[in-house]
Amino acid sequence: MPRNQSLGELRLVQPTIMAHAGAATNRIRLLATLNLEGLAIPDGELTPGAWGEGFIDRRHPHTYLHELMVSAHDVLGPADGPTLVSLALGKGFAPFGTDDPMARPVLRYPVNHHLAQILERVVVIAGVRAGPVALEASLFNGDEPERPGQWPRVNRFGDSWSARATVFPIPRLELQGSYARVRSPEHRPGAGTDQNKWSLSGRWADRSLYGLVEWARTSEAEGFFVFDSFLAEGAWSTGRSRLHYRFERTERPEEERTLDPFRSVRPHFENTTQGTTRWTIHTAGYGFRLGDATQPLGALPFVELSHGRIADVGGGLFDPRVFYGKTSFWSVSLGVRLNLGMEMHRMGRYGVAQDTAKEPESEHHGTHEQ
Amino acid sequence: MGLMNSRHPLGLLLVFAFAACSDDSGGDLQPLVPRSIASAGGDGQSAPVGAALPQPLRVLVTDGGGNEAPGVAVSWSVTQGGGTIAASSTTGQDGIASAQLTLGPAAGEHRAQAQVTGLAGSPVAFSATATGAGPPPPPGFELSVLSGGNNVPERFSSDLWVHGSYAYTGTWSERAEVGNVLKVWSLGAAGSPTLVGSVTVPGIGTVSDVQVTDDGQLLVLSGERGPGGGIFLYSLSNPAAPSFLGSALVGNAGVHTVTLSTINGRLYAFAARNPSLPQVAANDPALLIYDITDPRAPTLVSRVPFPERDYGIHDTFVRDGIAFAFVWDNPGVVIFDVGNGVQGGSPQAPAEMSRLVTSENGICCGPSVHNGWWFHNPVSGEKRYLFIGQEGAAVVGSQSSGDIHVVDVSDLANPTEVAFFHLDGAGTHNFWMDEQKQILYAAYYNAGVVALDVSGTLSGDLSNRLLGQVQPGGAGNTFTWGVQLANGSLYAIDMLSGLWQLTTE
Repeated sequence: MPRNQSLGELRLVQPTIMAHAGAATNRIRLLATLNLEGLAIPDGELTPGAWGEGFIDRRHPHTYLHELMVSAHDVLGPADGPTLVSLALGKGFAPFGTDDPMARPVLRYPVNHHLAQILERVVVIAGVRAGPVALEASLFNGDEPERPGQWPRVNRFGDSWSARATVFPIPRLELQGSYARVRSPEHRPGAGTDQNKWSLSGRWADRSLYGLVEWARTSEAEGFFVFDSFLAEGAWSTGRSRLHYRFERTERPEEERTLDPFRSVRPHFENTTQGTTRWTIHTAGYGFRLGDATQPLGALPFVELSHGRIADVGGGLFDPRVFYGKTSFWSVSLGVRLNLGMEMHRMGRYGVAQDTAKEPESEHHGTHEQ
Repeated sequence: MGLMNSRHPLGLLLVFAFAACSDDSGGDLQPLVPRSIASAGGDGQSAPVGAALPQPLRVLVTDGGGNEAPGVAVSWSVTQGGGTIAASSTTGQDGIASAQLTLGPAAGEHRAQAQVTGLAGSPVAFSATATGAGPPPPPGFELSVLSGGNNVPERFSSDLWVHGSYAYTGTWSERAEVGNVLKVWSLGAAGSPTLVGSVTVPGIGTVSDVQVTDDGQLLVLSGERGPGGGIFLYSLSNPAAPSFLGSALVGNAGVHTVTLSTINGRLYAFAARNPSLPQVAANDPALLIYDITDPRAPTLVSRVPFPERDYGIHDTFVRDGIAFAFVWDNPGVVIFDVGNGVQGGSPQAPAEMSRLVTSENGICCGPSVHNGWWFHNPVSGEKRYLFIGQEGAAVVGSQSSGDIHVVDVSDLANPTEVAFFHLDGAGTHNFWMDEQKQILYAAYYNAGVVALDVSGTLSGDLSNRLLGQVQPGGAGNTFTWGVQLANGSLYAIDMLSGLWQLTTE
């Protein structure tokens, strides 16, 4: 931890309530996710390597309304034959990159969250699926929220865009590539630097195996700052047991911090960083499901262990050996995932992308906590 | 005359109507016949050799009744000094004809004249003085390290002020220790700095700016990056041990820079308040002007907010009752009368005169107007140029970007960008000037310290004006924040390697 400290916390994290609804033979769908981290972890959650929205080495709380998306599926009906066309709008994820880490097996958030996903925006998405190929394009507002109760700046809607292509070569295998142009994400009024973002990933998911390999790049300030990320993770479930592992190597900016070592200066008033660090982290965990899978209430006690190394790359005055007192760290998490009702959906997939994700079985709600 | 000679009936009718309407004073309807010519301004100016005079030469042509005579062709010529001027110009409706005189290559008196054959007062003579281009840079000019350096290992350094035999430097952000300290240095007989003390400022994480009054009695610093940001005032009755007098706090926003100026006998501090969250009007970045005549009780006398949509105000430069506020991309540099009298402004009610957004010059990510220096040239007598620093994108400690922009402010109401200086692979920060020698010293972050010849007329690319450059701490150990000329030495404060004494010979 900063200043060669160690820290232990007991937290309720990722408390979410999800709701799905459908109408017109499920061609009109509502998807909502409430996130209560603003109440549970208003000062964030200890997560070495995390940064974004003014938090650093602590994962920030999400906004209370994480998703509220309405989507129209197969809007052209039989007119376009087997091709599916969808429209979606609301507050949610831009079609870029991979799924929200909350919907993935590893508890600890990856460092690359702000490189590999674009979330909590007012977004309009058009999607087309023809055979094994799905294409999505979106317009959204570039600004990131600064606190849980904050709404996107509607007057910035349309200043940013993204596109994602997904290919399904065989059942359960998904390959995607995406690009986004995001205007001033870290300065809400819009005076900050812009980002060009790329993402490539491959994902496998069946009843017992899950795997994800992704690469993401964010180039900011016309290429003055470039941050790369590689991540591979997997999970194997057998009986009541689940094993998971993740490897990540991600670069992040080192921003000027306030006197609170877990916060960086906001709002920005110049285009500088103090350097770039590369975080190489191995995370492994084991969980044991309690109760019957057919019951609405599920519990998965787990243990998760992370070991990481921090390297200074690309110059700058930030020196992890000085700031952290060392260049490696350990992290241990003990917790229990609680689930009531349906399983979590893949956050960030709407319209034709939602059709490729796990279908909601019915209208339920769920909670999820550590 | 042209209208009176018109053969177009409608033209005659219009002229008649005009004449009738202008007859209120009882004059008759006789045509305006030019009778005399006289100077209407521009005489007695000075400019460097080869430069255009700041104001055009002007003559007034009138008729026998003293009325302005439009449409009269006036001939111009240079009679001494070898300069250039338009051969002719024509009087307007106000009877004025003007021409711009560009001085010749020799210093000394130049003469020109305006002439209309047959008019009383013709020719009208004008004189101007061509000043020398100033002394050339000393032969063998070279920036080099004389002493100091690598003397603040536990902190990153920030700003610098030298007064008498003491120097005061700020500290920035966090290295092994938090940058909440003002360092006090004794300058030896040869000017070499020795650390003799420090002052810890509570509630902040960066001492972002330092200045001492001309009489050496008061030190002011600005603080940011903490809950107790603001300006802090210290007595220098013992210059080796500043003692706290008072402060004006602005909270978490903090103050990025502070500039002192005495106006109408009272001492003011011009503070650049940062933006802060939540983003509401009360938290907008702003120019805060404090009356600190009583330093124990600073009094806020005015607040000029700047829109929260941008990065806000970074620095100010105040001279002759004119305040320049450097406000990033929007609105760029803003010029206020704060006591000059030219527009009736005061510290209590700054009167905006003009604003200008300098060019981006291909530097990411915008004009990034950061700091400046209004050059009063004692050689030419001009107050023509404002140097502006552009703070482009940077990785603090290793990479930087941003040019020096030159703005012609000879007309403060209409500033015009006229020149720039670019250095590959580095960006500029704070300035100091040797005005007598017409040399601009610029801290240039990873490029160290840069010296530019700014004599004469400045136009276009100034890359051939580079006089010298030095990285005080060497490659990889240089990120220079500021410079100051004092006691015959140039002092440089480097974020990585501390306080240096440099020489220019």
